[in-house]
Amino acid sequence: MKKRKKAVVEESVMCNLIAMVDIMFLLLLFFMLGADMGQRELAELVLPKADQVKPEDKKADVKDVYSTINVHHRYEEAGFTCAINKANGVCREPDHWRYAIRGREYTQADILPELQEAAAEAMETEIDPKAGQLLSRRKVLIRADLSAPFGDVNKLIELCGQAKLYKIEVAAAQPPPDEIGK
Amino acid sequence: MAGSSMGDEDNPVAINVTPLIDVIFCLCVFFMCSFRFKQLEGKFDTWLPKDKGNKNTVIQSDMPKEVRIALFWDKVAGKTIRRMGDREVRSDEELQNLIRDAYRDLVLANHPDAPVTIDAQGAVPWNEVMKVVNMCKREKIEKIEFALGAPPPQ
Repeated sequence: MKKRKKAVVEESVMCNLIAMVDIMFLLLLFFMLGADMGQRELAELVLPKADQVKPEDKKADVKDVYSTINVHHRYEEAGFTCAINKANGVCREPDHWRYAIRGREYTQADILPELQEAAAEAMETEIDPKAGQLLSRRKVLIRADLSAPFGDVNKLIELCGQAKLYKIEVAAAQPPPDEIGK
Repeated sequence: MAGSSMGDEDNPVAINVTPLIDVIFCLCVFFMCSFRFKQLEGKFDTWLPKDKGNKNTVIQSDMPKEVRIALFWDKVAGKTIRRMGDREVRSDEELQNLIRDAYRDLVLANHPDAPVTIDAQGAVPWNEVMKVVNMCKREKIEKIEFALGAPPPQ
């Protein structure tokens, strides 16, 4: 008597990847929207916290001509290191602090031509009656590290004044709600 | 895509999703590695006066017409010393109260436009200056001036 062969049932062990693709898309979307790719982040610095700052109004800012100047400590690189800054201390070496505009670094000695050029790109059309001269309508946002020397920030404001940039703003971080008032 | 209920027999053209997953995975890794949460930032307007430049201010009258806060950098201790008049101010609350009282006195003496002058040494950390600016803003003081080069405390 012949034995009957059992029917072979082929089981599919394919993994359903669609759910995984969905989750990865969501993750990708979250990281893409959450990432801050702004040029101001080209300088790594920690802003001082202040609860009274005006929040950024991006709609209004788009209409204005803006420049952002970062005041930061020199970065660690081959041939340069600062032990105090590395230990989150307050470094007071004058040569260790830099101004940066769109990722390009300047010192007190060479930033003035850059400021003058930026000012000239957006001059007012009429002479200001108070100042008796043409001023620039460009706004300058100064983002200084919390341990930056006041002297350097003050010098930068002074240089902006020399370059006819008078619309100066200083940036600060908004503290989280639980820290306000402390 | 994900909500499809079609079986393999209904869909004769199978799409190989492996390269898609590879690419998304790479993008995910890139964004995860470069990710930094956006810090909420704001700004203080510090527009420069149009009709005056840098000047050395000498107070000549007996009655002060400004609130002057001096900040000194103690190199040895590595900290900032705050003074208002002859008084050394140790806590933030104390300084806040002193600014409030001094400004109120000036308003009562018919000087509502009197500025708060932050007279700080060059080495003082920017954070300390911003703290004082923030305190002034809490008291709704809009006129804040910066002065550089305070003499060392006696």
